[in-house]
Amino acid sequence: MSGRRLRTLLQREARATLRDPFTMVSLVAVPLAALLVFGFVLSTEVKGLALGVLDASHSAASRRFASALAANGTFAVRPYESRDALDRALVAGEVSAGLVVPPDFARGIAAEAAAAPAELVVIYDGGETVLAGNAEGFLRALVSDTVAQVTARERGAQEAARRARLELPPTPTGVDVRVRALFNPELDGTRFMVSGTFGFVLSFLTTVITAISIVKERLDGTFEQLQVTPATSFEILLGKIVPLGVVFTLDVVVMMLAGGFLLGVWPVGSALFFVIVSAFYVLTSLAIGIVISATSATAAEAVQKTVMLSIPLIQLSGFAFPLRNMPRGVQWLAELFPATHYIRISHAIYLRGRGPVDLLPELGILLAFAAGLVLFAIRAMERRA
Amino acid sequence: MSFISNVRAVAYKEATVVRHDKALIGMVVAQPIIMLLLVGYALSYEPANVPWAVLDRDDSPLSRRFLQDVQATGYFLPWQQVASYDEGYAKLASGEVLAFVQIPEDFERNAYRSRPDVQVLLDGADPVSSARVGAYLAQIGQHFETVRDARARAGPGEGLVVRQEFRFNRTLDDSRFFLAALAGILLTNLCMSATSLGLVAERENGTYEQMLALPTRPLEIVIGKLVPYVALSYVVLAIATLGAGIGFGLWPRGSVLALLAVTLPFVLASLSVGVFVSAMARTSAQAVFITVFAILPSMVLSGVMFPYQLMPDGVREIGGVLPLRWYQIALRRITLRGAGIEEVVAPALMLTAIFFVLLVLIRFRMKPRLA
Repeated sequence: MSGRRLRTLLQREARATLRDPFTMVSLVAVPLAALLVFGFVLSTEVKGLALGVLDASHSAASRRFASALAANGTFAVRPYESRDALDRALVAGEVSAGLVVPPDFARGIAAEAAAAPAELVVIYDGGETVLAGNAEGFLRALVSDTVAQVTARERGAQEAARRARLELPPTPTGVDVRVRALFNPELDGTRFMVSGTFGFVLSFLTTVITAISIVKERLDGTFEQLQVTPATSFEILLGKIVPLGVVFTLDVVVMMLAGGFLLGVWPVGSALFFVIVSAFYVLTSLAIGIVISATSATAAEAVQKTVMLSIPLIQLSGFAFPLRNMPRGVQWLAELFPATHYIRISHAIYLRGRGPVDLLPELGILLAFAAGLVLFAIRAMERRA
Repeated sequence: MSFISNVRAVAYKEATVVRHDKALIGMVVAQPIIMLLLVGYALSYEPANVPWAVLDRDDSPLSRRFLQDVQATGYFLPWQQVASYDEGYAKLASGEVLAFVQIPEDFERNAYRSRPDVQVLLDGADPVSSARVGAYLAQIGQHFETVRDARARAGPGEGLVVRQEFRFNRTLDDSRFFLAALAGILLTNLCMSATSLGLVAERENGTYEQMLALPTRPLEIVIGKLVPYVALSYVVLAIATLGAGIGFGLWPRGSVLALLAVTLPFVLASLSVGVFVSAMARTSAQAVFITVFAILPSMVLSGVMFPYQLMPDGVREIGGVLPLRWYQIALRRITLRGAGIEEVVAPALMLTAIFFVLLVLIRFRMKPRLA
């Protein structure tokens, strides 16, 4: 290993990377676009959904109920005249949920004795399952609260008087569950997605750009020229990895700044620690890129292989879907992707402010992946030579 | 008319290319199967195996009954008993548990007087799961009968009950939601990547010039190249639909005719995106690269994975440019809600409009290269 040879190789790679406009544009544009796109797509907040209301009661109480629901502002209330019209609106996706106010609503509110209680039906659009899942608890609570509100107004005064006269305590029922979320009180999806986007961009972009760059050199014949120089495979590999690694680590910093200034998401934990961990992950991705390029005949083939690898990246790495919801076997499979571990670490640093000591096992796994893949990349390059 | 025969000639030539493209055929067969398994078994936003910690300061029969009620929902793993607030907090901070439930000392005593409290801390680092787990817990609390004998407390106020009904998907099963859009995911991958490489590769190999030397017009070349992929797309649609039906029992509830009809403008629009990319890119590596970055936003912004209704204004409209947005709307209407032709006319028209806009763009982009 010679320092002078290595320096020449480093300079060469740095110049080649900086001169290619396509690479430079993708280095800046892709992370920014990914941040902006991913930052906004995941929302757990339910608002502005269309709620179809069928008022079969036509009473003062039911009208008050509907206007109280609308006043809340979370749902855009649309009136429907018949059950058929409401059903059609659900099929056509015009409304995301429906509410049927029964004909005996007013009686139910007044709590007059009856054989069966009046039944208020909330219909969710199971066709939009995820949406319905998010809206379920929320809409239910809203309906119950609004019913309570209307009920209180309808019979509040006389009821309270009656209870006071009989000295009845308020009816005990239910448990108040006071929910508070740590680290992210509004359960804001942006923070979650931004911290995961690092893993997505680094895995994907790094691998693609490395693979394209090496395959291109091989096609142009410059790679063979490198191999007839006194430089060893390890030096050639370092000459590739170091400049690209530095560029991508800078990319991490750019993304952190963009996430902070554009989306208001700053890491809770140490930014420096995050950059260092990311540098190791970049090394892993670069090594994967080298392995892919060593096994591809054309640049297009290399990119296609990366794409195939990036399918599990979105679906199985915990980037979009929580891993614990998956069957045990799939969870084990997901542990085999370095991205899973990096994304887990990113969430921990970015959202929960964890430090190196807490993350020791995960860091160890990431390091093991980096070391193993770099060794594998050297072998792949030598075999190719 | 020479237009038809020219298109047919180019289509024949392209079909021969497709038939010999082993990688493409592999993708057509392998990808649906992989995705079917992933989507059908693995992907879900519905919380499962949720780890939780409990600090039960009351340790009374009532508090234990409450905890068992939570456990009985099936979303949770057996709870981890902690001895102090700090211990529970530490477990939450390390991500070891998603929820930390604290029951105060006077839980049972309060139950006879008023509504007792339970405090729940959630891990906001996982907002999707936390939002749902929080809602489940609040619901359990609301319906928890602190006094066992329901009649004892059923005074006035029980005149009205709220009933929930999940239409089209009774158990709110996520996998049905994703499976319904599976064809859209697969066709986007297939159509965009298949055509994006086509034109660039021909230009790189020099066969594009040969074609230009023929008495074919650019539009005829483009349409001729699309025809075999349209046929292939229907094969993929059949695989996805039969796979979801046989494997997971999800057969389209609505009109199959509507499904077939709305697929055509979608496939044409998606293929055109690929052709457009191909006309933009200079090398095939660039073409694939750009395609990937056209496919990914499709998956994310279209509403296939995340509900588009909840996206902020602006972002939602950007997603409206993507063919997949309208196709997934149509797919879910037909497959899950049993829609017929008339309910999918609107998305079909949008798809047709996107196709024609792209066709015009491609026409402009290809023109100078003919000179």
